[in-house]
Amino acid sequence: MTELKEFKLPDAGEGLTEADIVAWHVKPGDQVEDGQIIVEVETAKAVVELPSPWDGTVARLLAEEGQTVEVGVPIIAIEVTGAAGAQPTVALSGQEKTHYAERAGVSAPAPADSPGTDKPERQAVLVGYGVKAASTTRRARKTPPSEIALPVAAGPGAPAVRALAKPPVRKLAKDLGISLAELAGSGPDGSITRDDVQRAASTGTQVRSAIFENGERTATSAAAARPGGEERIGVRGVRKHMAAAMVSSAFTAPHVTEFLQVDVTETMAAVRRVRELPEFADLRPSPLLFVARALLIAVARHPLINSSWDAAAEEIVVKHYVNLGIAVAADRGLIVPNVKNADALPLPELARSLQALTETGRAGKATPADLAGGTITITNVGVFGVDAGTAILTPGETAILAFGQVKDAPWVVDGQLAVRKACTLSLSFDHRIVDGELGSAVLRDIGSMLTDPVRMLAWS
Amino acid sequence: MTTLTLSRALNEGLRKALENDPKVLIMGEDVGKLGGVFRVTDGLQKDFGEARVIDTPLAESGIVGTAIGLALRGYRPVCEIQFDGFVYPAADQIISQLAKMRYRSRGHVSLPVVIRIPCGGGIGAVEHHSESPEVMFAHTAGLRVVACADPADAFAMIQQSISSDDPVIFFEPKRRYWDKGEVDTANGVLNALPFDRAKTVLAGTDVTLLCYGPLVRTCAESALAARQDGRSIEVIDLRSLSPLDEDAICASVRKTGRCVVAHEAPVYAGLGAEIAARVTERCFYHLEAPVLRVGGFATPYPPSRLEDHYLPDLDRILDAVDRTFGY
Repeated sequence: MTELKEFKLPDAGEGLTEADIVAWHVKPGDQVEDGQIIVEVETAKAVVELPSPWDGTVARLLAEEGQTVEVGVPIIAIEVTGAAGAQPTVALSGQEKTHYAERAGVSAPAPADSPGTDKPERQAVLVGYGVKAASTTRRARKTPPSEIALPVAAGPGAPAVRALAKPPVRKLAKDLGISLAELAGSGPDGSITRDDVQRAASTGTQVRSAIFENGERTATSAAAARPGGEERIGVRGVRKHMAAAMVSSAFTAPHVTEFLQVDVTETMAAVRRVRELPEFADLRPSPLLFVARALLIAVARHPLINSSWDAAAEEIVVKHYVNLGIAVAADRGLIVPNVKNADALPLPELARSLQALTETGRAGKATPADLAGGTITITNVGVFGVDAGTAILTPGETAILAFGQVKDAPWVVDGQLAVRKACTLSLSFDHRIVDGELGSAVLRDIGSMLTDPVRMLAWS
Repeated sequence: MTTLTLSRALNEGLRKALENDPKVLIMGEDVGKLGGVFRVTDGLQKDFGEARVIDTPLAESGIVGTAIGLALRGYRPVCEIQFDGFVYPAADQIISQLAKMRYRSRGHVSLPVVIRIPCGGGIGAVEHHSESPEVMFAHTAGLRVVACADPADAFAMIQQSISSDDPVIFFEPKRRYWDKGEVDTANGVLNALPFDRAKTVLAGTDVTLLCYGPLVRTCAESALAARQDGRSIEVIDLRSLSPLDEDAICASVRKTGRCVVAHEAPVYAGLGAEIAARVTERCFYHLEAPVLRVGGFATPYPPSRLEDHYLPDLDRILDAVDRTFGY
């Protein structure tokens, strides 16, 4: 019984990785014995004689004299007979290496990663057993990566004195004005997750969100899409929150939107006259100021429009104060800061507050306090050059007024066709709280006040 | 470009430094006639003479003390400490003299000494031959501590270290001495990255994996293996351990939101602790998970039969990466 075996160049104990074949002492067909010197090799440091590890017949010489061979590359093939052949082949590799390593007086078995050798194990060095080739693949795992267990929480028995949340969740909550201490966490160890914060933001009264989806802004700032390809835009931050809030609002509050076209010629004239007044010297009163004032007066006449739906308590919460939200297009998305107690403000103060709010909002500097606690909202869709919109309610509110663009339009005045300043008002409301009669009354009142601003004096 | 092993690249770098500046000296145990136990200084004594490539007695304190004296007289000595675990007799000279001379002299006297230390385990060696003492020197103000991880960096960084007027502790990953790589020997250090800057080895988006010296290759292999799990790991070779390239570290962590630091040295009070603290301070709101560390255990370096269990490997590194996704 014979077997063809290849003898690989071992390290000669100098920590070197290659050697030159100086002279072969055998040729193909020769009988060799275990321990018989078969070859002389020269490393950079010494000439070394290498013995055969097996009894057998030389089949082939795999390296020529003068050739430089890397450690671990086969240099001779031997037909192994007798005792060696009787041993099981699989068990041999480790024993063989130790065997001829000892015979040759070398420090390490050293097959390097050369083709046709055993699985690479160690690279020989002068000091130590040599460098072991590390695995480049992962061991089998019991748990798939998505189900990796968390580290055990520290400190048994210690009461959680502060809410647990990872840093980005803390940041999100801070941005949205949500207090972590008031939330129950659904994450590991009761920690508060991103979803917990977003749920609180979309259902609670702590926070406002955006009304009109402003998709253009970030889409254009993202890398230009390849022609004909697709582009994916990460949904994060303000946009992610806005999306959650809109979904929540759209699918919990039954929305109704009503429209009214209004002749605002007198309001535009009033805006110009107000600008002349010394009280407004450093301000720039806009039609929005009059719309806001008209809405505030309408709220006073119809308080139910300024309320919220408390599903848990099965109650409608009517608010006898107005925190007037204004939808603002900011760089990171649309936000709705609000003017606190807007109903109590004199007109110049209201103008000043609206101006400050839109400026800080656009600059992305709205504080959590600015964004929290709104009760009713105006969205000025007219600035986008459109007439009307079916705005979605800010979560937790009952009405939102969309103010369209003011433009010259044909209008019938006293039976004559005339060119007047006209615009469209769109009022969306929560039909659980406000029925068509009340919604219509509110919209009609606002329209009347904008048609004839003197009515604001009469009704305030 | 030439293909060289890391030890050969160091040899070429040392040769260039000896050629370029007659004040450069090499000294250490067996560095001359033998050419160093890892052959890093092979042939240099033959070519540059016994006055410039000096075999010293087995006395590390004397080697570094002599180097300090030579540096005071205008030489640029490069000392070899034969193995990491032999550096402690020289600690007094390094910490109390080498690191302090410039401060002591109000900036008038600099000591341009380089101390080369083969470091780390993985070669199956005996006690004192497999340690990672870098943090002792990183903790000592007044020293630069750098670690090369591949042949190209070995070639460039040894020359940059020698031409620096600061004392430099230069760590060489001894189990990577035989790793081969492309080295631009023709252009010297002209196009090389400054030796105090970190280098992105593999770009990624999900987690930042910081490493240096012998673990750079392990971490790169880990990152490649992790791609099968759909994870994109950014591997950064710190290169400079003191000072740290914090801007590069933080830029990567802000991008990925996760950070794992790996080193062979024990985790306890290791460099990973310093990095974790700095990353937490500077990237707090970006972190999706705590900065995790992978490293040696709180034991002396074990006998070689156990070292595979001690050294951070691909599995331990990727387990830590996995854990950063569990928060």
